Order: sequence, then C-alpha cells, then structure tokens
Amino acid sequence: MTEFEDPFQMDEELDERDLNITPQYPPINNFIEDQINIRSRIDELDLTNAFPDKNGHLKENLKIQGEQEEYEEDLDDKFDAKVHEVMNNEYTKFKKNNEPLTPPENFAPVVNKIYRSSFPQANNFDFLKRLKLKSILCLIPDEYPDLHKEFLEKENIKLFQMGMSGNKEPFVVISHELITEALKVVLNPENHPILIHCNRGKHRTGCLIGILRRLQNWSLTIIFDEYRKFAAPKERPMDQQFIELYNEDSILKFANDNKLLPLSWD
Amino acid sequence: MSEEVTINHPPKLRIIPPLNFCPVEHQLYRSGQPTIINQSFLKDLNLKTIIWLATEEPQEEFLDYCSINNINLEFVGMMDDYNYNYGSNINPWDTLSDSTIQKSLEIISNKENYPILVCCGMGRHRTGTIIGCLRRLQNWNLASVSEEYRRFTGAKGGRIQVELLIESFDINSIEIDPNMTPDWLLK
Repeated sequence: MTEFEDPFQMDEELDERDLNITPQYPPINNFIEDQINIRSRIDELDLTNAFPDKNGHLKENLKIQGEQEEYEEDLDDKFDAKVHEVMNNEYTKFKKNNEPLTPPENFAPVVNKIYRSSFPQANNFDFLKRLKLKSILCLIPDEYPDLHKEFLEKENIKLFQMGMSGNKEPFVVISHELITEALKVVLNPENHPILIHCNRGKHRTGCLIGILRRLQNWSLTIIFDEYRKFAAPKERPMDQQFIELYNEDSILKFANDNKLLPLSWD
Repeated sequence: MSEEVTINHPPKLRIIPPLNFCPVEHQLYRSGQPTIINQSFLKDLNLKTIIWLATEEPQEEFLDYCSINNINLEFVGMMDDYNYNYGSNINPWDTLSDSTIQKSLEIISNKENYPILVCCGMGRHRTGTIIGCLRRLQNWNLASVSEEYRRFTGAKGGRIQVELLIESFDINSIEIDPNMTPDWLLK
C-alpha cells in the first residue's frame, strides 16, 4: 500500500510506516530575533544588550531610568507654542463682537468650584472670565504664552505651574510627589475657583482628577469610566493603573490635618 | 469552626455615582437613572428636584427614594406635544418634544428648584438634549455643545437627530426672569 490514488482515503487506512511524521522546526540560528518579537519591550532591551551584534560589539546600554531624560511626547501631549501663537494671533485679528462663548475643549466642572479643561486659547478667554477664576493649575512644563500671562494679569488669576510628563509606555511615569503637590493646590479652598489643565485635558488632567475622585471615595470603576470619557479616543491603560496605584497616604494626611476632606458638594 | 479574625481598619464606604454622572453648573447635575447603589452618593447632593426625561416610569425603588427624601420628581419626558397631557403614545426612540424641552428649561432657570439632577435611562441622548439646549441658552457655540454632548454618548456616538434638535432650538422661547434665574445663566 504505497500509492494513495483515492482522494477520499481515510487517515486510519494509511500505513504509518510510509509517513514521515517527524516534526520539522525552522533552523534555530535566528533564535534571538524570534525571541525579541514575542517579548515585552523591557525584555527586548535586556536581550539586545546581552548579545553582541555581528561585529562582536555589545550595544550601548540603554538608559532605562534616566532622571529627566529627553523623551518624545505623544503628539497630543506635546505643547506646540508656535501653533498656539499663530492661532491666537489669527483669532485676535478676526474677532467679532458678541461672539458665542467658546469653552476650551474637554471643559467640565469637577466638583464645586474646581474645573478641568484642555489648554485654553485666546478664543476661550471670554468664557473663562465668566468663571471668575482665582487660580489656574497648569500641568505642562512649557512656558505660559505671553498672551495668556497678560490675560491672567488682567483678570488677577494666580498661575500654579507643575510641569509633569505624561504616563508613557514604557518608562515614563508621572511622579507621585508632583501629583501630591498639585492636589495640595487643588484642595486648598483659598485657590477656588480653580481651573486645572494640561495640553488636551485628557491624560495628565485625567490622572489628577482620577485621584481627586479617589479622595471622594468614588468606586474605581466609575473613576475609570470618567477618565475614559475625557481621554477618548486615546485612553491609556497606564493612566488608569496610575490612578489605582497612587499612594494617597501623604495627601490624605495633609488633607486631614488641614480639614480639607470630605469634599462635599456645595 | 470559626477562625478568629482581627479587623484593623473600618470598612471604607465606596461611593458610586450614577452612570454618566457629571456636574453641569453650580448645583446642576446630569446622569443616567440612579439605582439603589447610588443612594449614598445622591444623599451628598442634597437634591431638591429631579428632572426625569425617559418615557417610562422610573424603577419603584427610585420613586420610593424620591418620596422618602422629599425630592420633587418632574416627569417631563412623558409630555405630549399634541394634547399636552401625560400621553402614552410616545416612543422611547423619539426625540424630546418641544414642551418637554420648554418645561425642563423653565425648571432649570428657576433658582428655587436647586440642587437639580437631570436624568434619563442612560444619561446620553435625552439628558444630552436638555443640557445642549441649556448650553445654547448660555450662548455657547454649537461646536462646543456638540463636543460636550458626544462625550456622554458612549461608543455608538451621537445622534444627528438630537444635534439637529439642539441646533433648531429657539433660545428666545425661554423667558428668563432675572430675579429667579441662577447667576451663571444671566447674560
């Protein structure tokens, strides 16, 4: 029984001795590359460092936990001062009287007189005036534009700037201490009404608000839901993880010492 | 056989706001239908009025909760344009009637009703319509109104019908009494 001409031949009827059933594997000299494809980024870095390249050189060690290394911001998180300047100039040039009010993107009240939004533009100033803000907390490190400084001065608004990097895969995380400091500003009733903003009002602001919700004892599920609503369509699992894992001991102590909690709805 | 258990910290109360909850303005809130798990949260809001926009009756528990806590529940979602009574010929998928919008905004523009919660089943389209019309009344531009509406509509996105309704809403149809209106609604 060496020829199988019947295409409907059943497996059981085949003579085992005529079949080569030894499994075949691809040659293993590409082992390292194969591994890299399936490993996480951290392991990949370790592997590429551990093995010499074709010329026998070890790759330069990648700095994994550099202090404040230069890193590329997500396009959304990056503040582009030039674009802002052009937009704001255009706006002031063509501004009409009695324009409808324009809140900054992602604007919403958070609790009582705490508000959140993306980076305000010149066309949002009329809207912001109505909030009678006492202070603004800016979560990005870039310098506040002159036009904005002028606005703050005219409206007598105090600027708190706490530049923090966004949570970015795989190594950049928001500093817990900075968030704690930012929360101290936000919780202080003397600073209210206060507007919290970063660039798009999604990630850094979202993390801060998420932790504020934790101080209100909100269920994490609802906190994540709120985070995703504002971060859509760029929700980051890392941000949600950050919200969950943030150690609230020191801010709780500060808040209790200064009788800032509970944050009740007025 | 019971093992000895030492409890070294009190259980933490977990506050659960209703689905799609968000503050809109001072003492004005929006959400989906609250359930029994949201009660400790609702208590903190000290609500005086709830604007109910769905076409169906809310759950029994919710009705009980409102009557026990003296919350004035306004059934504006069941208003019918044609005979102006609480008719049964309204479908849940219909957009809000003019009289529903009118009545809701009248309630919202009266200080005496605050704190107010505006809600429907999911807190998406019906609630979104009222908040959208309110934003127009506040002189927001339409793009910002739409952005806010869509933030709460979930993965399926916004409905064009709702946005058309918000766009065509006549802001002059609502009379604002400066003595009765909350400060943030005054021009």
